[in-house]
Amino acid sequence: MCFFYSSTIELFKEVVTTTKEELYKELSDAIVSCKKDQVLAAVEKARGELEAPDIIENGLAAGMNEVGTLFERGKLFLPHVMMAAEAMQAGVDELKDDMPESSNKAASVIVNGTVEGDVHDIGKAIVSTMLQTSGFEVYDIGRDAPVADFIAKIKETNANMVGISALMTTTLPGQKEVIEALEEEGLRDKVKVMVGGAPATNAWANKIGADCYAENATEAVNKAKELLL
Amino acid sequence: MANEYFVRMGDGERISMTKEQIIADLQEGSADAADLGDIPELSGDELDKLADIIMDSNRIVSVEPGMEIPVTHDIGSIRIDGDQGNSGVGIPASRLVGCMMHERGFGADTMELGHIDYSFKPVKPVIAQECQTMESCQQNMTVPLLYGAMPNLGLYYTPDGPFENPGDLMKAFKINEARESIEHAGDHATRDITWIMQHLQKVGCDGVNFDTIGAAGDGDVYASLYAMKALREEFPNIYIEAGMAGECTLGMHGELEFEGNVLAGLWPHEQVPLAEEAGANMFGPVCNTNTSKSSAWNLARSVTFTKAAVEASNIPCHVDMGMGVGGIPMFETPPIDAVTRASKAMVEIAGVDGI
Repeated sequence: MCFFYSSTIELFKEVVTTTKEELYKELSDAIVSCKKDQVLAAVEKARGELEAPDIIENGLAAGMNEVGTLFERGKLFLPHVMMAAEAMQAGVDELKDDMPESSNKAASVIVNGTVEGDVHDIGKAIVSTMLQTSGFEVYDIGRDAPVADFIAKIKETNANMVGISALMTTTLPGQKEVIEALEEEGLRDKVKVMVGGAPATNAWANKIGADCYAENATEAVNKAKELLL
Repeated sequence: MANEYFVRMGDGERISMTKEQIIADLQEGSADAADLGDIPELSGDELDKLADIIMDSNRIVSVEPGMEIPVTHDIGSIRIDGDQGNSGVGIPASRLVGCMMHERGFGADTMELGHIDYSFKPVKPVIAQECQTMESCQQNMTVPLLYGAMPNLGLYYTPDGPFENPGDLMKAFKINEARESIEHAGDHATRDITWIMQHLQKVGCDGVNFDTIGAAGDGDVYASLYAMKALREEFPNIYIEAGMAGECTLGMHGELEFEGNVLAGLWPHEQVPLAEEAGANMFGPVCNTNTSKSSAWNLARSVTFTKAAVEASNIPCHVDMGMGVGGIPMFETPPIDAVTRASKAMVEIAGVDGI
């Protein structure tokens, strides 16, 4: 009798676990589909079964991670990433009232730009987009941005991180100039620095005292999470 | 240390690795390309040969006699006179002199004339000057002389062009507007490239080099392929080189097509049939260097992608080799040990027809 009772409990637990996993998968799949209505339907279904933070972390965010992986592998493209991000935002908004008070912490703020003298925009724009879709508050100051613009925007937004892009060997020193300006302004200790762009490397990042180097947009998101979350 | 070999990181840094470490990196690099492109990994024999090339004790290596291949040049003569962050060495010389130096001094098998901006769009207002220079060069040179430039769709977006920047529109979730902007820019670039080459063909230009196709994503590829198609129809004998910007076509739009084929997410072996269909005579596959990985990893990855493209191609493949591409370190003056090893591997393992 005891054996039967114990087995029933185990079976019950298994059913519950499977259901939970299925809900995570439904939420994740809905994000990968890039369709807002599917995401909202999946959120509505999961709401009674899962806590709001659980829905976001293990369902929606997991789906965005999958979207990032598919983007990196050339299976999904920038518009899909944006559609998935918009759908995720709708899902998160739907859960706003269910969120515990303690979870309302401010998002990390990142200022992103390409250094002065360098007109390359696309790679940096993709990094901004991917950071934004990963939950960071991103201020993209564009390309050919003077050092003063980086500093002004960092002060204005109280940023935690600056992403500095340079696509030419001749403009690469501009990254060092931004770091030096941060030091002069007494901001270096509170602002993490990420560098990127074709000629930038790990060795260069170490040499100029950056906190990290990112090879591509996905790596930029991962490094930002490591440093800020 | 006796059993370690001198190799480089993707940023050019000198490091040493054991044979086992080199082979492990070769296997990993090839597997990465195979996984992404859904193509075969290099065979055991090919990996062994690649390891031998990398571990060669000589500083400079070369191909076996009989395996020499033609070398074409891009970036025009900017390599000589350019001094504004564009890979040039700042030697004052006219473009005619620069082209002739490549032909007679550097052994270039084909050469190209290029404008200092090296994008098609800025050539429009100076087309008369380009035609004049092309004519002078043609009268003084023997090797095929093409006109080269980048499609560079970026110049069609604000603040450089008439269409709103799709990157900004995307960030505002205006996806349809972003796509429309890319489509407009693509159509304008096709028209501009065709118009420029119509003029240059009148003064005896041998052909066109589309350099770094796809640098601005799938819209760039769309514009280039349709320009190739238009030029091939109008000039049956024009020589068209199609050189890519990266191993994967970045999907800024995601749904653009050429003759029914979606352009986003294509790998080199999928890009070449479309270039061929559009009318290209020669294809330049590209694989970008990862600066955080060793030259062994990068070269194996690059050779794997390039070999698949060569096998899928009916036209000659001249692989793009240089700073940060083709398994060569991302370094302004790429180290000769790395350049010659990568070049030998591309010829003897990937089977390229030229560089």
